Amino acid sequence: MATFIQLIVDGLSTGSVYAAIALALVLVHQATGLINFAQGGMAVLAAYSAWWLLSRGVPLVLAISASVLLSFAFGAVVERWLMRRFERGDPDTAVVVTIGLLTLITGVCGWLFTYNNQQFPSLFSLDAVTFLGVSVSQRSIGTTVVIVVVMLLLQALFAGTKLGLALRAVAINPQSAAFSGLPVERLLMVGWGLAAALGAIAGALVAPQLTLTPGMLDNALVYALAAVILGGLSSPIGVVVAAWMIGVLENLAAVYVPLIGYDLKVAVPFILIFVVLVVRPQGLFGRKTVVRV
Amino acid sequence: MSRHFRSRKALVIAVASTLALTFAGCSREGGGDGATGAAASPGITDTTVRLGISTPLSGSTAGPGTCTVAGVKAYFGAKNAAGGVAFGDGKTRTVEIEALDDGYDPQRAKANYDSLKDDVFAMTAGLGTPTNRAWREAAIADEVPQVLVMTGDPLFSDTQESPWQLGFVPIYQNEGEAFGKLLVASGAPHKVAILSQNDDYGAGYVEGFKSAVEGAANIEIVDELTYEATDTSVDAQITQLSASGADVIFNAMSLVPLVVSALQKAQQLNWLPSWFLPSNTSSPGAVVEPGGGAAFPGIYSVSFAKAPASPAFAGDEDVQTYLAALKEHGDYPDAPAFPHCQWSWMVGATLEQAFTTMTEPTRDDFMRALRSIENFEAPLMLPGTAVTTTESGQPAVPTVVVQKYNGKGYDTVESLG
Amino acid sequence: MAGARMTTAALSDRQRSWLRRAGPLLLVVVLVVVPLVFPESVNETIARIGVFAVAVLGLNVVMGYAGQVSLGQIFFLGLGAYVTAYGVSNDWNIVVVFVLACLIPAFVGLLVALAAARLGGLAIAMVTVALPIVGVPLAKRLSEFTGGSQGLSARFGDAPEWSGLYDDQWRLYLVLAIGGAVFLLTRNLVRGKYGRVLGIVKKNENVASSVGISPYRYKVLAFTLASLIGGVSGFLYMLVIQYTSPETMSFGHSIQLLAAMVIGGAASIVGSVLGGAYYVLVPQLTNLVDPSLTALLQGAVLLVVLFVLPGGLASLARPLGRGRRSRARHDPAPLITPSATTKSGSAADTPETERQGHP
Repeated sequence: MATFIQLIVDGLSTGSVYAAIALALVLVHQATGLINFAQGGMAVLAAYSAWWLLSRGVPLVLAISASVLLSFAFGAVVERWLMRRFERGDPDTAVVVTIGLLTLITGVCGWLFTYNNQQFPSLFSLDAVTFLGVSVSQRSIGTTVVIVVVMLLLQALFAGTKLGLALRAVAINPQSAAFSGLPVERLLMVGWGLAAALGAIAGALVAPQLTLTPGMLDNALVYALAAVILGGLSSPIGVVVAAWMIGVLENLAAVYVPLIGYDLKVAVPFILIFVVLVVRPQGLFGRKTVVRV
Repeated sequence: MSRHFRSRKALVIAVASTLALTFAGCSREGGGDGATGAAASPGITDTTVRLGISTPLSGSTAGPGTCTVAGVKAYFGAKNAAGGVAFGDGKTRTVEIEALDDGYDPQRAKANYDSLKDDVFAMTAGLGTPTNRAWREAAIADEVPQVLVMTGDPLFSDTQESPWQLGFVPIYQNEGEAFGKLLVASGAPHKVAILSQNDDYGAGYVEGFKSAVEGAANIEIVDELTYEATDTSVDAQITQLSASGADVIFNAMSLVPLVVSALQKAQQLNWLPSWFLPSNTSSPGAVVEPGGGAAFPGIYSVSFAKAPASPAFAGDEDVQTYLAALKEHGDYPDAPAFPHCQWSWMVGATLEQAFTTMTEPTRDDFMRALRSIENFEAPLMLPGTAVTTTESGQPAVPTVVVQKYNGKGYDTVESLG
Repeated sequence: MAGARMTTAALSDRQRSWLRRAGPLLLVVVLVVVPLVFPESVNETIARIGVFAVAVLGLNVVMGYAGQVSLGQIFFLGLGAYVTAYGVSNDWNIVVVFVLACLIPAFVGLLVALAAARLGGLAIAMVTVALPIVGVPLAKRLSEFTGGSQGLSARFGDAPEWSGLYDDQWRLYLVLAIGGAVFLLTRNLVRGKYGRVLGIVKKNENVASSVGISPYRYKVLAFTLASLIGGVSGFLYMLVIQYTSPETMSFGHSIQLLAAMVIGGAASIVGSVLGGAYYVLVPQLTNLVDPSLTALLQGAVLLVVLFVLPGGLASLARPLGRGRRSRARHDPAPLITPSATTKSGSAADTPETERQGHP
């Protein structure tokens, strides 16, 4: 029984890693209507910039804050000078551009910082808290708390603020948004900037656990994508819940379903997606999109 | 009607030009056929010899991949700067290295081989099982040496199956076996949990370990799990294994980040077994220290190379020379983070050893020379290990010693405890 | 020589028709001559381009022409390669092996599509992601057939004695013949009625339904066809590379294949060839520049090419032809969103897919 509960707790903390990236994917999708494959790469770049500042003697909190600000600027620059050219064109092309951006950023990180594993210190202690025979590190708790806070902020941003509504309006229909007087281009830059800043937080949160390398988030990205689809593209809460579900269920399936086992547990999120989408095509928490002919 | 006619016309032209050009084609020189007799093979002149490497320089295995190039480049860079290598045929040649990135993609590895095979004398030092297997048969057909490659796949050390190949690092089975023997020799009862990578790497280690402990009354394997190289976490596996009550974990993992997090996770669960790590993920500075390895009763690994980071070898002459050359000639300014850098340096020394006994500038004679090295103590080798290439079924380094983490580096041990 | 005189006569009669046919004829001649004149390494590179051009073509059928996002094309290449490797190492007749390497991936693709196409664009994308992601560990588990992580080697397609050709020349002919046939069949298909229907489904499923076309059936058909073509590319992969392992079908390669398709030009036959060339040549070229910077250079090349040519490399050739269609798709719809867009496309203006040169 203790093992069972421990496996659930382990799954939640792994799920939090997926959730961190997934939230950034949701933000950029809400703001621009795109799936950004480079999201993880931009988070890694941010983590490297924080790591570089650290190695220059800057305190950890300051280094992470600086990397968040830098990322906001970087995200806005990427939107203005790269993505804008593709926003009105074929959406497949825009997505492939983000793939190219991911490759480029990974290459730049490898070039500047080598492909070696770098240790990234955590904001939280690694010491374990034990409760009823279940132990969990303060780092996992801290990571999860930060993600929940970010999730609530995002939910509030999209549901209750002018900026959030404007961002969504631009993503859903840029032309109408422009007609109603919204500064579409600036809003797109802000959307990308915010997503990149959020990615920087995510990068700093998960880098201590995953060890900083240029490809640190490549494997997590697939899980994050699955969480985004499962949770519904429009719902930060849904996405975090989906990421936790994936983390927990894949652990339980690996241990208790011999047919799946540790080698095929990666199939779990996809089976989940399939089952959920048959019942609710908009995802667990997503809004139904209305289709006009 | 006329359409039908014209398509027949097309056929006639096609056939005619085929015939005409077949003759031209047949007169093509060389192709992939290896030169025979005493005429020099491709890639070697009286003053130079050129070696090719296909290895991952981008992607998730780029860290160790970069090392496999850096070590051998550094070795021959230093030799070239000192005038070159004296070959057995009386000529002194400089050694050029042409390294290409395959990104751990077998298809690209084959492409790299295709583009290099006519320009280089031999292929060497590349990292990876699938990437080396992808062009193994082609290398045999073309009679191009594919030697001292960085894979513990036994296929490359089987002289019958692989006449033009030779592995460098110990086969995975040897490493697993060495630890298994130590465990059996301890005499004390041990419960062992196994966590291995789900591929030939992990399976090879486990196979070797099991063959050593088979029938031993004091060893019981209580649980055995695997993980995928693409996983982001092995927390669940460690949790499950910790419940098995094992006092030893045989941990055949090849990914540094996962090894670090496995060590950390076990401490959080307050599960403190003796720990076995493979030779490529047991670096004191990059793995054991960040993982908090001092908390465990013992961290064991196998090795054949001196770890430059270890205080025991800080003043070692071999290590000094090596680190200086790595900076100057290997394009590798940082402290080596993977043991592959040291291994690759030894590959350089082993190649030189073969070069000095080559009497003809041919690939045939090179293979003969390479296969007749016995008990060569390459620089950076630990006492008790040596390069021996005369044994079929064994790679160039057939022996390893078991070591125990001492808080800074490793000491060779004869027994557990 | 008599033939030449006839050609001249025909030319004066119907010059335009001749010009239209001269292209393909020239192409055939070039394809026949190429393997004979180039050195071995060039032939091998061209053969590799052929392999991935076919793979990209398959992706184009489901994505470029039918508009269904597929991130799993590499899985079908891998499956075809495994079937081929298994058959060859068990000494099956090579024709049987080829047929199986087409049919098994097509059948698997059909099963997947029957389930996924019911769910709409969103789920198709995710299910296709699952294929390589789950395919890799699955291939390891089925080690009895796949050789596990060490993979399978199978050498076949050596030049027969009577041909007097080198092995690489013979293999290149095989790639050109099989690949060429696949391209020709696909080209005829997408330019015919079937292609027009796919275009309507791509533009607007609701419109398709309203004119009596079942989007479901056509999506399944396109996906199955793409899987079959993927299987063919897997067969060619074994012919040329002669080795496959789980690494062959890793997700990263699937993403690169998608990039190659867009770089070449979506919904374009020529674009598929250019995409295959991109997939093979760019890693080789970046290796020539600096092997330690390949990722950086590949990313930069991709971005620069798309920045200059958002319609892909095929759009370079397009202005020369008649049908300018690169601006055909304007919808700012996201990639992974239920595929129906709000544009009220009419059936008439749909698939201007590369119709230049077609009577």
